[in-house]
Amino acid sequence: MSAEQQDARRQRRTRYRLRVATVAACLTLMCVLAGAVAARVYHGRLLVLLVAGAAVGAFAIGLALRNRPAFLAPGASAAGLAAYLLGAIALTSDGTEPLPVTVLDALANAVPRTLTALIPVEPAPDTVVVPVFLAWLAATLSCEFAIRYGRTLLGCLPATLLYAAGLYLVGPNADPGPLHGVAYCVLAAAALAVTAAPPERRPDRDATVDGPAPSKTPALMGAVLTTTVLLAAVALLGPVAARFVTSSPGDPREYVEPPRLTDIDLNPLVRIAEWAKYPEQELFKADTSADAWMRLAVLTEYDGTTWQATGDFRTAGTVVPGAGEPTYSADVEIIQLGGKLVPAAADPASVTDLPIAVNLHTKCLLTPDGLATGAKFHVDSALVTVDRAAAETARPDLSDATTVAVPPGTPEIMVTIADYIRAQYATPYERAQGLADFLSRHYAYDAEAPSGHDLPALGFFLGSAAEAGGQRGTSEQFAAAYAVIARLVGLPTRVVVGFDVPAGSSTVTAAQGLAWPEVAFDGPGWVRFDPMPAAGAVPTPPEDALEQMEEETPSPEEAEGGGDDAEDYNDDSLEQDGDFNEEAGQAESGLPVWVWYAAAALLLACVPLVFKARRALRRRRRLTRGTPAERVAGAWAEVLSEAARAGVKVPGHANAEEAAVRLAVLEADIGALPRLVNAAAFAPSALSEEDARTAVSIVAPFSRTIRHQVKWVRRFLT
Amino acid sequence: MHDTEHTHPLQVPRRMQQQAVTLGAAQAEQFAATFEALASAVDTVVLGKQEVVRLALTAMFAEGHILLEDVPGTGKTTLARAIAAAVSGQWRRIQFTPDLLPSDVSGVTIFNQASGAFEFHPGPVFANIVIADEINRASPKTQSALLEVMEEGRVTVDGHPHSVPQPFLVVATQNPVEMDGTYRLPEAQLDRFLVKLSVGYPVEAAEIEVLRGTHQRSPEHLPPVLDTDTVAQMAELAKHVYIAEPLYAYLVQLANATRNHPQVAVGVSPRGLIALTRAASVFALSQGRTYIIPEDVKALAGPVFGHRIQLAPDAAMRGATGAAIVADAFEQVPVPLPASAA
Repeated sequence: MSAEQQDARRQRRTRYRLRVATVAACLTLMCVLAGAVAARVYHGRLLVLLVAGAAVGAFAIGLALRNRPAFLAPGASAAGLAAYLLGAIALTSDGTEPLPVTVLDALANAVPRTLTALIPVEPAPDTVVVPVFLAWLAATLSCEFAIRYGRTLLGCLPATLLYAAGLYLVGPNADPGPLHGVAYCVLAAAALAVTAAPPERRPDRDATVDGPAPSKTPALMGAVLTTTVLLAAVALLGPVAARFVTSSPGDPREYVEPPRLTDIDLNPLVRIAEWAKYPEQELFKADTSADAWMRLAVLTEYDGTTWQATGDFRTAGTVVPGAGEPTYSADVEIIQLGGKLVPAAADPASVTDLPIAVNLHTKCLLTPDGLATGAKFHVDSALVTVDRAAAETARPDLSDATTVAVPPGTPEIMVTIADYIRAQYATPYERAQGLADFLSRHYAYDAEAPSGHDLPALGFFLGSAAEAGGQRGTSEQFAAAYAVIARLVGLPTRVVVGFDVPAGSSTVTAAQGLAWPEVAFDGPGWVRFDPMPAAGAVPTPPEDALEQMEEETPSPEEAEGGGDDAEDYNDDSLEQDGDFNEEAGQAESGLPVWVWYAAAALLLACVPLVFKARRALRRRRRLTRGTPAERVAGAWAEVLSEAARAGVKVPGHANAEEAAVRLAVLEADIGALPRLVNAAAFAPSALSEEDARTAVSIVAPFSRTIRHQVKWVRRFLT
Repeated sequence: MHDTEHTHPLQVPRRMQQQAVTLGAAQAEQFAATFEALASAVDTVVLGKQEVVRLALTAMFAEGHILLEDVPGTGKTTLARAIAAAVSGQWRRIQFTPDLLPSDVSGVTIFNQASGAFEFHPGPVFANIVIADEINRASPKTQSALLEVMEEGRVTVDGHPHSVPQPFLVVATQNPVEMDGTYRLPEAQLDRFLVKLSVGYPVEAAEIEVLRGTHQRSPEHLPPVLDTDTVAQMAELAKHVYIAEPLYAYLVQLANATRNHPQVAVGVSPRGLIALTRAASVFALSQGRTYIIPEDVKALAGPVFGHRIQLAPDAAMRGATGAAIVADAFEQVPVPLPASAA
């Protein structure tokens, strides 16, 4: 072999290795990108690093063995995967159990726990095994297809399936990631544009490959053009297509059966009476960093009999989704507090030493096994600060119909009080505060008051004479009555059961347990109001205030008009909301729909033009550049390409004369081209410029002759 | 300017014998014309067998030996004799029989009482063209007497080597049907034949023509077209045909395809591969080309490879043939044309 040939072979080998490295890098990044997509529902960045490590490891093994027998790859890759999984499990394990036990538990429960763990998923042995395994598997298959067998498109398939698996795992629990998708497309296009070589054309294998290196420029240019057109189409059509998508992606976590609640947890408001009756009862010890209200339950639904929480509890890890940076911490030791509901300041961010489930609507916590005496746990919370100044001018948040629903059979006294409040106060906040003041002024606290918060009980509490046992109650009645009346006024309310816990170390007794109402404002959120009378205050009968209001009311029509004013206020707010949404809708659309369709049609029309331009450029390059032998080879390639478009394919094992026989069915003359291409391939120096011109002159008539035999689809798209 | 090196258009210049130089088109055309003249002369005796004649002559110029196998009466011996007659060198015919001894082929050393010394009496193998008729009728011992001379061009008798005249060509014939009293040629000896050809029955028109002129078309009446020196020069010229690098890989892949074929016990040997390359070189020159192309390889692979492939026992029982294996090999190996790399 001459020095020139050795040099040419060395250059081919270098170029081939660069191509392999590029394809491997693109496919590895595609696997890492799939991991990054899945990691959006994981806590921290550990999963991305683990998936990246798995992809790199699998590709490293695949690349190292690409020229070895194929049967070696699965064994080596499996051994690498086992070692890497072991490392990942050891890295994410908390060390409380021996590693073999952790490994077995992780392998046995990995799939269900990965699919159902609450978001953000804590990287733990059982939640990282599946992503790491899939990433390794996908990377191994991609490497085998793309690098060993030179099938890059097939190599993109495992990475794409991994990407789809990541999207399924995320479900609707993260914002759409268009950048991930675009980056993925670009990487795939880059890998396809570069492409590795099939085994028979690898310069670093036994197969000998000589002659000029195949040019990748047309493929590269075509890939770039196609990618550009596709990306532009996606960018333009994406917003239009998104309008037709009305449903969210499926969420595997929906299939998890939520923990079941006992009666006492379903309706914790009844515990208020017990706590009021035995105030010295020690419920739990708390060591907190600040004064705070620790919530036990948030009750939104009222059916006239009981207050209940909405939404299901979902099993969570130590991290509670959606919370901000913790600003409050509490160490809690349970004494006599029963049930499953876990006291925590709003909004809890993380809980350690206690298995928990969380209500995604209210951020209340629950422990599936129930609280036991002596149980200790630590809870960090991001304390919710309410801007009362903003609430004074805010509109009520009417987005949740449950919070304004009033059951039928509301006692007359409640309606009367609601009318009174509407008549006395103008803004929502004034009405909310006015109602709290009304109850605290005219009703008394009585720890011995009978339990109950159904509508008759609330009617008795509000309307019966003090002498008959009415007009006094515990926080149960105060909070429940406030919430119902406020709803009659038009304010969205809920009832919260919890404890007033001071800063520092203390024992929380039943005396500190109470219920309070909260009103939702658009912007500030839920605002706590206190309808309880001040300690030692003597209530004035409510009848005086209510009768005075009736006297001031001139006629039912005017009273109704006053009501209309209140309704108008709410209606105005609704109308404004509607206006806002409409504006938002216009802002989203930007341009009329037909513009989008026209742009899409224009882009689609460009696709065949791109193909035709690519083909013309390729033909020009083949027929005009290079030595006579290269031009003859180019003419031959053009003839074969045109014949393939017309449906006549020449197999690789056919020599030039046999190819000519196959092409004869097209009834187009190729003259001396077989002889010339043989000379170009096997005695290039024997060709003259005249030979090259002869070969080139054959191509155009051949194309014209067989044009009518090319199907219109091929003519359009190739 | 007069070129003193060129004494004959077909003679290879001395400088070309020392280094690889591409042949000129004029030399190739001269070779093709001479080849065609010789073939046409043989065609006048062996009617309707142009392809077989050209393959046999290709083997001769490739300095290989020819094995003609066919049923009796198809013209095997006539072809052999016609080639011998068309070349004006020495030729001998040996009719192989079971009682033929090796010394009957190679020659014998006899004590001359007059001179008081042993004298070597050359056998019929000492000729430019040796026709070994019905070679499979001789005993293996006698058949093996041909081995040395076919491979090395010399005979060793009583420890003394005796060279045969050059060029040296063995044209052997055998009958594949009648197997009684015959000894199948061993694989080692088969491998020494460059090509194995089957003459076959002539087409109808040619057969009628044969009947018309049986007496006029005897090889004895064929005037010589070439002398042995010209044959030697043409054979030397064929050694300088250009072979492109991709073709070497193509040839090796073809041989590998026969070796890895599931119906094959022993595939083509490197000697077979060299034989194909030599034959393809002559074939290319006979077409007026100075370089080999895949078509040359395909035209000759059957006759050159077919008898060198040892089929697996079950494949042989099912009726597989070496030619079918070679055809399979061509289906598996891509031709190194530039379009496949574009």
